[in-house]
Amino acid sequence: MAGIDVGGGHGGKRALNHEIPLIPFIDFLLCLVAFLLVTAVWSQMARINADARVPGPPKPEQPEDIKKEKQLHVEMRGEQKFQLVWKEGNTVINTIDVERKKVPVGDGGDITYPDLAKKIGEEWNANGSHRAATDNKFDQAVLHTDNSTPFQEVIAVIDSIYSPKRDWSMGGKTEKVPAFNVTFAVN
Amino acid sequence: MSEKPLNRFHQPISVPGRRLLHHIPLRFVRRKVSGGGQRAVNAEIPLIPFIDFLLCIVLFLLASFSATGELPIDKNVKLPNAENVIDMTEAPMVAITGTQILVDGTPAGSTRVVEEANRLQRVEELFNILKNKRELWKQLNPGKDFPGVVILQVDRKVPALVVKSVFQTAAYAGFPNVSFMVGRLGGGGE
Repeated sequence: MAGIDVGGGHGGKRALNHEIPLIPFIDFLLCLVAFLLVTAVWSQMARINADARVPGPPKPEQPEDIKKEKQLHVEMRGEQKFQLVWKEGNTVINTIDVERKKVPVGDGGDITYPDLAKKIGEEWNANGSHRAATDNKFDQAVLHTDNSTPFQEVIAVIDSIYSPKRDWSMGGKTEKVPAFNVTFAVN
Repeated sequence: MSEKPLNRFHQPISVPGRRLLHHIPLRFVRRKVSGGGQRAVNAEIPLIPFIDFLLCIVLFLLASFSATGELPIDKNVKLPNAENVIDMTEAPMVAITGTQILVDGTPAGSTRVVEEANRLQRVEELFNILKNKRELWKQLNPGKDFPGVVILQVDRKVPALVVKSVFQTAAYAGFPNVSFMVGRLGGGGE
């Protein structure tokens, strides 16, 4: 067995040589491995965020004139195309049409919209307001969808909106995060 | 073959090896039956590399250990997959399966009301359950900011009207940070 030999141990003194009990140590390690294997989570689940942006209670110190920011409205009501509309309040700044071309991914029936993702990336590069890593606010995207649209297609569009990434510093650490926050239009 | 006895085992366990014909007083017979000139019968288990291997496994498993446990997924729900996702967090789970709405496995209303009305509306039962959850959290964690996170587990075929109604209900109940549970597409993520 493994031991530590430092000599000595003569003349009535306590022996300095020690045996490391390897077999109990291996047993302990095997128990630890078994426990961790049993409790391990092999799930591949994740989440995709959406922000409800519900106004909180009115604050007395809130300024009356709040600057309206540009928002990207993504219309997915048409069968043939998406419409990207930049709005500042109720004022339409720019409208872009993108062909609604779904691309199947894998065998599970998943779909993506790479053209939409690419166009949204270009639009954010051209018109995005919150780019600095120290900026804690994010550009807002509003998703307009038909009532009958399947959830899978809604997720594919939200996934496309989240494709442009920006740096974000928090607590001295910089990470890549989606450039947009997504919310649903209520009407 | 080594004649040195093993440290750990004394009597009655002896050094392994051939036992037969040892009493014959001929040297070449004794050498032959004790495996002389052949491969040794004793084998050393390389313990140190074995311990290193076990330690590596332990470290890997500890690194990938998740204290949140396994996520309960309803077997009737087929989730969509997405690429730009974030890791799961612990939060109330609202599942929409067929026409049923469940909050952490407890029935919390039906989607039939929304579908029949064919317009966006609040699901009262879901609203009350989520509101109670929020109030309970605030009682248990006084002085702390409520995270307001809820995770929706929605089947990929559910119409957007139902999703939006549940989304809005959750927001009204004090859960504005709504997340949709999805699978990871192509190992993407952050």
